[in-house]
Order: sequence, then structure tokens, then C-alpha cells
Amino acid sequence: MVGLSLGEKNFIKGGIAQDIRTDGRKRLTYRPIFVETGVIPQASGSARVKMGATDVIASVKGRGGEELSVELSTALQRCLLGGKSGAGAGIDLSSLSIVEGKVCWDIYIDGLVVSSDGNLLDALGAAVKAALSNTAIPKVEVTANASSEEQPEVDVSDEEFLQFDTTGVPVIITLTKVGSHYIVDATPEEESQMSSAVSISVNSQGRICGLTKRGGAGLDPSIILDMISVAKHVSDQLFNKLDSEIAAAEACDDE
Amino acid sequence: MRGMQLSLNKTQKLRLERALEQLESLSSKSNSDASVTVADNISVNCEDAILKGHGTTELDGHVVATLCGVVERVNKLVYVRALRARYKPEIGDIIVGRVIEVAPKCWRLEINFSQDAVLMLSSMNLPNGIQRRRTAIDELNMRSIFEENDVICAEVRGFQHDGCLHLQARSQKYGKLERGQLLTINPYLVKKRKQHFHYLEQYGIDLILGCNGYVWVGEHVEVKDPMLVEDQLNKSEQPIADSENSMSSADEVDTCTPLETRENICRTANAIRVLSALGFVVTVEVILAVVNLSTSLSLDIHEMLGPEFYVLVAEKEAERRSSLGKKR
Repeated sequence: MVGLSLGEKNFIKGGIAQDIRTDGRKRLTYRPIFVETGVIPQASGSARVKMGATDVIASVKGRGGEELSVELSTALQRCLLGGKSGAGAGIDLSSLSIVEGKVCWDIYIDGLVVSSDGNLLDALGAAVKAALSNTAIPKVEVTANASSEEQPEVDVSDEEFLQFDTTGVPVIITLTKVGSHYIVDATPEEESQMSSAVSISVNSQGRICGLTKRGGAGLDPSIILDMISVAKHVSDQLFNKLDSEIAAAEACDDE
Repeated sequence: MRGMQLSLNKTQKLRLERALEQLESLSSKSNSDASVTVADNISVNCEDAILKGHGTTELDGHVVATLCGVVERVNKLVYVRALRARYKPEIGDIIVGRVIEVAPKCWRLEINFSQDAVLMLSSMNLPNGIQRRRTAIDELNMRSIFEENDVICAEVRGFQHDGCLHLQARSQKYGKLERGQLLTINPYLVKKRKQHFHYLEQYGIDLILGCNGYVWVGEHVEVKDPMLVEDQLNKSEQPIADSENSMSSADEVDTCTPLETRENICRTANAIRVLSALGFVVTVEVILAVVNLSTSLSLDIHEMLGPEFYVLVAEKEAERRSSLGKKR
């Protein structure tokens, strides 16, 4: 990322203060989101999300996987899996069990950043949601005569698939604080001017699933509460947008 | 057309394809003979002793192209001009660059070229406008003129014998650019014209189309001639003028760009982004046409980057070029 001159920095800050960012967006407007599903045929489910020039791919598999970068993965984990007790988790883990108490599916979610133009977490969150909605888990037949001690025999079907239920999956909204205003979907130039950024994951019922704060400046607790309420407000529009884009992508995929 | 990352629905895709086809058919009539690809034979009259220029080579007695482009003939010289090339500086080009280093007696600028350009301290006007030999104190105060990451407008003075590019910024219209945004487009989309500085009066903004593909859109700055200002002031008023100059940079940080000017800047910047993504040549007339189109449709500024507007701009451009062709 090239540096910015003082004049340009002031222009960006002034724009955010006046609610007209450098590409004309308002503070709480997202860039156009483009969703494509089924990009990786070998995976159980996959999706590619483009927000401006940021391009990320998420894939869901039944096994295997490479390492994500630590910060992104911990943030995603916190946002998707909820607290230690499992309360408020995005994915209903019980839908993954095959035989009660014995065998279940292990879901591995991988994210790949193809190009970064700011706002990676939001794009990754959207990609994970789209990939999960694209995921088809093979139906498993359990042979009945297994006794309770032995390993039950399972027959993984190649033909029939179960769609994953993604209504509970939350979406991540990153609010970047520049000066005394918050913006969503920051470009790299705007991110270089930020004092701090809070990423909040909200699910469709409006409940908070996770929270991460980045950036060196300290934040007053009242500001964090204010950011949470702004995030909840923005999440409604984002959910509608994402759901319609995912539905359109799935429809394209089926054709 | 590379790097278009938009979700166009089916009708939009059809309309865009149709508009682009129309544009292609309009352009290919004029110079289909001249376009060549690599290893095409260039038709030359074998009687004349022709000079083989850039992009050509001799193969089996034929002159063959080594680049994809358009054949140009000037007297006895035959060469192939590439359509999508890196920026090639020429003397007198107006360019916009960013300072990456403050070196002894010069600044190094990044100008979207294979090398960094050099702006010598002696090619730069001193703040007071007086002409004198640059001393060591001037060298120590270089940072007060331009710092790292500043955006500067300058003119190409020439090449040194070692291939280094030298710039000059002697006139008042060159210098530091503030209060605006810098856009990067492909260099071949900016054609060489008589005027590269444009003051769009109805919007109150300055538009500088750098030949290297860097375009500056910003608030209008009045170009003051310091020699004129000095003549008008008498000696007792000069100290006040100096203190005003030193205050102005601090003031600029606080004063905000007025809202309407900012909207116009963003609209123009988005118009340039759309044109560059579609691969159309960027000139003032085309930019103004796109901005007028967006205001006539009363689109929100950020909607200019949406798929519908892209398709509209492509269709409008196809219309404009076909009407130009019919007039001739």
C-alpha cells in the first residue's frame, strides 16, 4: 500500500466527517457484493465473495484443511462458534451428528484471500455463510445390527445430500472508527486512517455472536455499545442483500 | 475490460455486449488494415529502402511485426505502435507523481514508469519566487517544500544520458496537490492533448490528466503569480504576507472542503473509474458527459459504480461514436 500525502489524508477524514467518502458512499453503505457458489467442485460446499476489489473464497469440507492466519481464524471462530458453553453458536452442531454419541461429521471451513482491498473479515464472513448454504452433506445410512459397543457401520451415500441449515449463521460487520464517525466496508486508504476497528458478528435474530476489537486507540465503553447498535442496524440490510445474492448465485448454479 | 467485478444480470450482460460490439465495429472500419499481431507480415514496397523501427524485424526478406499493435509509417520509417503499453515519457508531458524519497538536492517521484523520476531542487521554484542560486540552507529546507508521499504535478524536462527521467516544476501551475484524490488508470487511456489542466467551472474543481495515468481530481486552487503579488505589495506589507503564507498550511488542515465541491469531486472521480474500467479513452468531454448522465438520472454518487450505470455509459459511448461517424 503506497503512502498518502497529508492533503489526501485530510480529504479522506473530511469526507468521512461530511458523510461522503472518496467513492461517494455514505458512511454505512457497503460496496456492491458479488456472490458465486460452487466454485470448488471437490469441496462439500464453497463460495466466492467479491466486495469491490476484495476477493475471498471459502470452502467447507468433511476432512482436511490448511492453516488460516491466526488473527482471522480466531476472529472467525469466536464469531461462529459462540462462547465456551456453546450458547449462541451460529451452527447447530447437533445437525452434524450421525449416530448419537458415537459418529458425527467434522466440518472444516477454509478461507482463502485472493485479493485484499479492505474489509477482509466481512467478506470472509459472507463467504463462509454462502459456502455453508452451498454445502451438501452426504446422507449416511447406519446399518442397524451394530451393538452399542462396536463401531457402527455407516454407508455414505453418493447420491443423496442434505442441505445445511444456515439461518442461524451470523454475518460479520466491521465498523472502522475514523475521527468521531464510524464507517463500514473501509477501503485500504480509509483503514490506514483508522483509530480503531470493531468487528461484530450478528445473526438474523439481531443477537451478537462475537466481538473483536483491533487498533491501538482505546475506546470508551459507551462508544462500543453505540457501535454495537449501529452494527445491528446495518446487519438487517446486509442480511437481505446477502440472502438475495446467495439465492441468485444458487439459482445460477443450478442452471 | 479487465478486472470488471460486477454482477450483471442477464439483460445487462446482453446490453453491454451489444454496446461493445457496436463500438468494435465502428473502430475496425478505420484501421483494420493497420492492425497487426506478432509475426504478421507488414506490407512494404520492396523498391524503397525503408527503415525498420520499433516492433519490427526482418525475417526471410519480409518485414514482420514483433508486437501487437498498429503499423505507423512516417516517410521511410515503419514501426509498430503497441496499443496497451507502459507509459512512455516524452519531453513536455504533464505528469502527476508521488514523492517517495527526499535525496540530496532532488526529490525522487514515482510516476508509474519503469524507473523513478527525479525532480531537481534547481528545477523547482523557491517559495518566495526569487531567482537565486540554491544554497545549503535551501537543501536543508527541502522537506518544507515537498515531503514523502506528497502528490506533485510536474512536466518532463528530459532524459539524462543514463536513462534517468528529469522533471521540472518551474511554473506556478505545477507543484503540490492537496485537497483532492489521486486516481490511477491505465496510461494508454490518456492521450496527449494541448491541455491537461482543466478547471471545471460549474463544479469548481480542478482536473489534471497526467500522461502517466495518474489523474488528480481536487478542489480548485487559484494559481497566483508570486512575482505579480510582490510588485503590488509595498515593502512594509511584505512581512505580513510572509506570516500569512506560513499560516495557510495550518489553516488548510482545519478548513473543510465544502459539501457541494466534495460531491462534485466524488462524482467526477467515479466517472473516471467507470471509464477506465470500461477501457474508454479519458478526455474532459467524455468525463463531463458521464457526470451529466449521472446527474440527469439523479443517481446517488456511489451508484455510479454499480452495474446498471456501467452498461448505460457503454451504451452512451457507442451512441456518441456512431453519431460522430455519421456526421463525417
